[in-house]
Amino acid sequence: MLKFLAEFAESFRISIESLRANKLRAFLATLGVVIGISFVVLMGWALSGLDNALQESINLIGEDMIYVDKWDWSGGKRWKEVRNRKEITLEQAKELIENITTAVVAVPVAVTWRGEIKYGNDNYQGLSIVGTSADFGILPAGDVTNGRFFSKFEETTTANVAVLGYKVAETIFGDSDPVGNFIKIKGRKFEVIGVVKKQGTMLMDFIDNRVYVPIGNFMSLFGGEHLRSTSIGIKAGSIERLDEVREEARGLMRTIRNLKPWEEDDFSINETKAFEEVVGTLRLYVWGIGLGMTVLSFIVGIIGIMNIMYVSVAERTKEIGIRKSIGAKNRSILFQFIIEAAMLCSVGALTSLFLCSILVFVVANILPKLIPETAFLRPFIPADFIVIASVVAIIVGILAGLLPALRAARVDPIESLRYE
Amino acid sequence: MESINLNGQPLIKLKHISRVYQVGVEQVFALRDISLEIFPNEYVAIMGPSGSGKSTLMNIIGCLDTPTGGEYILKGINVSEMNDNELAEIRNKEIGFVFQMFNLLPRSNALKNVELPLVYAGIAKSKRIEIAKEALADVGLGDRMTHKPNELSGGQRQRVAIARALVTKPSLILADEPTGNLDSKSGEDIMKLFHQLWKNGNTIVLVTHEAEIARNAHRIIRLRDGLIEKEELNPNPYNYDKATDVKVSG
Repeated sequence: MLKFLAEFAESFRISIESLRANKLRAFLATLGVVIGISFVVLMGWALSGLDNALQESINLIGEDMIYVDKWDWSGGKRWKEVRNRKEITLEQAKELIENITTAVVAVPVAVTWRGEIKYGNDNYQGLSIVGTSADFGILPAGDVTNGRFFSKFEETTTANVAVLGYKVAETIFGDSDPVGNFIKIKGRKFEVIGVVKKQGTMLMDFIDNRVYVPIGNFMSLFGGEHLRSTSIGIKAGSIERLDEVREEARGLMRTIRNLKPWEEDDFSINETKAFEEVVGTLRLYVWGIGLGMTVLSFIVGIIGIMNIMYVSVAERTKEIGIRKSIGAKNRSILFQFIIEAAMLCSVGALTSLFLCSILVFVVANILPKLIPETAFLRPFIPADFIVIASVVAIIVGILAGLLPALRAARVDPIESLRYE
Repeated sequence: MESINLNGQPLIKLKHISRVYQVGVEQVFALRDISLEIFPNEYVAIMGPSGSGKSTLMNIIGCLDTPTGGEYILKGINVSEMNDNELAEIRNKEIGFVFQMFNLLPRSNALKNVELPLVYAGIAKSKRIEIAKEALADVGLGDRMTHKPNELSGGQRQRVAIARALVTKPSLILADEPTGNLDSKSGEDIMKLFHQLWKNGNTIVLVTHEAEIARNAHRIIRLRDGLIEKEELNPNPYNYDKATDVKVSG
């Protein structure tokens, strides 16, 4: 054991020495590995960002939520068929909300996408105005940081009150408190009574760009023109209860929409699972591209390192002879060259991790300022991918070093001592 | 130096050794039939012109090669049938090589070079350094330990090589034209050092084609065409003790 350790330490020392002696060559040889490891690491980084975004979105929507909607979130259904569905009217939504018994809470959500509000003399466009009930304030999506959500009383009396999305509040009021100020929607004055906390993620970036008003007010403002159908958010209370709630909602909705038993649903019941599907597909793309590139650059890397190792063995034939003459076994020589190749790859991996860390840090700090949707990117490489990258580098090194090392181990000491 | 007691048995016993190389369809006899005994603390020179088989014989004695016929008994152990790994272990423990071209590792300093056999012997690092330092001091290079081979003179390099040959306390020191690459002054210093090693109890086998160098040995074996042509005792080995004291110059 001691012998093995001594030889191992010696091999380690030799490989560092030989790397130092041929810096440029080592650098060129590891280029393939550096690129390969970079792909692995950056892929891991992108995936972790994606997972991060997915989790945030799921938390925001709530895993125990279902949304009854004309539109299908997962995009799996035929687009044309979905588009031709009849709108879900507010009356149908109300009927469902009133009749559903298994849900904790159910809220109507009516949205106009081309909203416009006025504060003072300034116009703000490109935001959406949402009409909903007071119960929306119970949902995670209606979580207020500042002020409060509107009440049942305000809802039924169609009080002119509005709750701002985080980004809307920030754009109009900056750092100052919006609560108590008045904004105008279509000329009607609304008092700002609260701000919903920041929730935007890559998948749900629009959500901070909303203004919430009581559904009655929404209808009187946009009832004539609003193009999008109303959806119904239903909170099941727990993931276990989702099936039950989904079935009840589906049955009720079929009755409300007067569907015959043989007709298909003309509405969709959306869940956070849909997001997982979307992200799953995205993940698959990232994996596919990343894996393909990684494998390719590792093949290049292995060939590069193998070549350099063959050169190294040829150059050091004499050294191998000397070592053998003073007692190095074939095994010792084999180890020496395999360790050298593994070292070469590890240096490549370290270089790559270093460069990627800088890249990732810079990108994650700068890009979101330019493109807010990329805020899901995190400024560090996930630890498990650092481990994976290091292990892969060592395995690649061993693979690349094996054949040259076998050749070195088989060098005839007499021949090689004569070698000049 | 550890004294080797084989109770009067020879340290090296070669019995009808032959070594045949297959060159194409032809068989080339490098060694035809060599029988030879070398006893502990002998100082033997093997002489012969090129092509006489002396290199092949040295390789076999040094366990770098195995004979195709005959038996080689080293310290009572038959090494003629050993495999590569077993031979490597024998070389590490029993043989100390000194080569004409020094054969030091160019990128390692003197100390690392001398340490190397101990690495393969599995000696712990601190112990290795201690032994290697001592060996270097013994050959008069105590102040050159961190020098790389290209920072040393030929004579100094050869002394590093000798220190390396000595660190595992081998039974046999095998020197192949040790002065062949040195000027006469350095060569003389090296031969003095060998004399000193012999006096300390080492067994030395010197392979050379120079009669002047062979004169240092106490027994001279002449090879020709793969056979022992003549074996003679040297009644008057060159005695450095008489000439001057062994003084190793840096």
